[in-house]
Amino acid sequence: MEPNALVDYVKSLDCIHCGLCLRTCPTYQLTGAEPSSPRGRIYLMRAVAENKLDASDPHYREELDFCLVCRHCESVCPAGVRFGEMMETARAGANRAAPRGALERLARWFGFGVVLPSRFWLSLSISALRLAQRTGLMRLAATFAGARKEALLSMPTAPPASERRALPERTPARGAQRGEVALLEGCVMPELFGRVNRASAAVLAEIGYSCRTAKDHVCCGALHAHNGELEGARALARTTIESYERLGDAPIVVNSAGCGAHMRAYATLLEDDSAWRERSKRFSARVVDFSEFVAAQAPADWRPRAAPELGKLTYDDPCHLCHGQQIRSQPRTLLERVSGAQCVELANAESCCGSAGIYSLLRPRDSQAVFEPKARAFVASGADTLVTANPGCHLQWESGLARLGVKARVVHIAEVLAPRESDAPSGGVR
Amino acid sequence: MTPGVDASLLEGLRAITGDAGLISDPTRLLSYECDGLALLQQRPACVVLPRTTDECARAVALLHRAGVPIVGRGAGTGLSGGATPVAGGAIVGLARMRDIVALDVENRTARVQAGLVNVDLSFAAEQHGLFYAPDPSSQHACTIGGNIGENSGGPHCFKYGSTNRHVLGLVIVRHDGSVLDLSRAHLDPLGYDLVGLFVGSEGMFGIATEIVVQLMPIQPVVETVLAIFKDLDGACDSVSDVIAAGHEPVALEILDRLTIEAVEASVFAAGYPRDAEAVLLIECEGSEAEVAASLDEILAVVRRRGAIDVRRARNASERKKLWAGRKGAFGAMGRIAPDLYVADVVVPRTKLRELVLGSTRIAHEHGLKLSNVFHAGDGNLHPNISYDRRDPAEVKRVLAAGDEIMELVVKAGGSLTGEHGVGLEKQAAMTQVFDESSLRAMCSVRDAWDPERRMNPGKLIPVHACREMRGALRPKA
Repeated sequence: MEPNALVDYVKSLDCIHCGLCLRTCPTYQLTGAEPSSPRGRIYLMRAVAENKLDASDPHYREELDFCLVCRHCESVCPAGVRFGEMMETARAGANRAAPRGALERLARWFGFGVVLPSRFWLSLSISALRLAQRTGLMRLAATFAGARKEALLSMPTAPPASERRALPERTPARGAQRGEVALLEGCVMPELFGRVNRASAAVLAEIGYSCRTAKDHVCCGALHAHNGELEGARALARTTIESYERLGDAPIVVNSAGCGAHMRAYATLLEDDSAWRERSKRFSARVVDFSEFVAAQAPADWRPRAAPELGKLTYDDPCHLCHGQQIRSQPRTLLERVSGAQCVELANAESCCGSAGIYSLLRPRDSQAVFEPKARAFVASGADTLVTANPGCHLQWESGLARLGVKARVVHIAEVLAPRESDAPSGGVR
Repeated sequence: MTPGVDASLLEGLRAITGDAGLISDPTRLLSYECDGLALLQQRPACVVLPRTTDECARAVALLHRAGVPIVGRGAGTGLSGGATPVAGGAIVGLARMRDIVALDVENRTARVQAGLVNVDLSFAAEQHGLFYAPDPSSQHACTIGGNIGENSGGPHCFKYGSTNRHVLGLVIVRHDGSVLDLSRAHLDPLGYDLVGLFVGSEGMFGIATEIVVQLMPIQPVVETVLAIFKDLDGACDSVSDVIAAGHEPVALEILDRLTIEAVEASVFAAGYPRDAEAVLLIECEGSEAEVAASLDEILAVVRRRGAIDVRRARNASERKKLWAGRKGAFGAMGRIAPDLYVADVVVPRTKLRELVLGSTRIAHEHGLKLSNVFHAGDGNLHPNISYDRRDPAEVKRVLAAGDEIMELVVKAGGSLTGEHGVGLEKQAAMTQVFDESSLRAMCSVRDAWDPERRMNPGKLIPVHACREMRGALRPKA
């Protein structure tokens, strides 16, 4: 019998069942259950491929949905199993085998198909969210939302319009220009973290790089791919490539770990598309993480000044930076270069905070359970400010610490490095 | 589902452990079909995941009353099939019992729940200058409880001894759900050494839920050296010579070329030279003077035996890297083929070279790919055979080669297992080492612990080996 194509059978054969992934897996940590571990999920995928298990099985779907796709397992897998890619294929396969309910399909279509790829809808949604949150409408709605109550209340806090300013098309270098880069503006970044984008551009300018943004570009499709919406992801990958080809061949600096990891994997996403294979490879080779770029390109004597209100800093590795892009030392090196900054290490910095893209909205309870040990580690570190490099983690830390009553600031690393006379980091004290 | 596991039993179990502590749907049960020996698979009827000794005891009592066979399981990383389920039986998994109950720094002991991951104990002890010595290669995944079951070893057991040397006390849930507390502090075993008896009993005497272990002080100086060889023989002979000369390194580990290639291609790439035929990892510890003196002499031996280069780890992170490569070797072999059969024979250290050669020859005769990575200091060989379990003919050849390697080793005065246990994998070969009366003695001990033989049944003792054995081993009427 032919292997079932709803999973990636060939990749599943790389797993030798040694179990070294178990301890790193956040859902195995929560449950102690083998099917909620990477090894167990691969075992189930392999069973689907070998036609021993139906891909429409609800327990199978649940184990796929439960996974945060943090890819911590990949960092400890001696056999080099590409778990993240396997999950994307398996989720897409499960969606095909058993279409989700009508309401969920509608929500996914609206979210993935309408809102994310559209600046207009994104902006409108965040404005509506802000209105609902400011007026108390959200709390009211939550009381009627039943099972969805926690999802509504865990929506990110929408910032005021003053923060939701888009980047200019071009930010000139300060002083002598050393080069030019493209900066990914992102889908939710300008809506929720306009200040981070501006800080990123300011840092790049400070170290001598002018940066351009692709104003016709909105979403890279990472959230689509992680949730098994592979067709949508491929379409967005193609438009992303086109947008950035129009900006020439300068490096594409990305300040969102999830987007960076995904854009670096376009070649895999589009490997079956001969027309795009080479273009996607060329594109992916241009993608560079913000910390990675600044650490490599900043002049040797560049010493950003610490913002005194940030106090003691600790850095939490976004999963898709450390596990997805093997970037671990660069952010730490940069923080050490900040004059007047005091940095402490965070225990288990490489384990997932539970944000995982839209996971925190889809599964708020699981997401919060994954976050709890992270919060304990943060308190134990004695730091005043949590530094991250990904919008999802940023929101998760802000809302998670607030929920647990921990007073701390949460900032993107670009905000720490940004020149002081520009926008002061405004990660609110909570 | 066997008649034993029915809806009312499941309800009873759920009442004890809660929803999260019971798995009974066929889909999720699939993932419990096998442990680290993926070759052998059976479908359990349910998995119970208790959080405390009390929950475990109540669950076992219920299962006992229903006559359901029970297989204990830690992380399922064992390589001999010790945690392979019994079809239609129950698995009692300890993965949710992973607390360090107490760390007694002054007395250098720790009391832990059985599902604690081995390395987490050493991580917790490190800040007090202590560590837990048994360090199986799977130590980042395997549990202390599983280590008790298999009497696990690891590279550092060359100096420190296997798990049985480090266990001071146990709390055991017996076959009927009664709790046997053997964890009270006494400095030496008083009366029969039940704790000693239990370690290595492969889950057939009961389920250990809490464990008191001793911790060792971290030595002031630790030196790790990588010796590089142009041939495997030189590495083997070095080990024989080092031991014959009376040196006591902490660990002596050999990896051959195929293993080096797999490790160097993995996330655990340790900088082993890819063109070497073998590397020997040597670790010495003690005072600065002791380490310097013994390492000088050891390195002289190693050079005499043909080492073309020796590299010292310059700091803790380099040392860690050298060891991570060694410990990731099993998993790294996933790059060579989908499955790996890991033999676990122990040979007299004077015969390392000939038995490594012999097992390689056997594999080649069967047309199989064999790699070597082993605890050379202990004479504990791991001839590893890469294969694909989807190919039944190849599987047959792998098992035949495994049997022949065990036979060869036993004839040369060696033993079947160094640290992985007998489980299902080496069960039939037990008759090569033990005569009928020895096996009968083992059965008597087992019957004293579990007269109904429902704890991990069908493991270790060869019931199918021959007619006589079957007669001798039939349960007492």
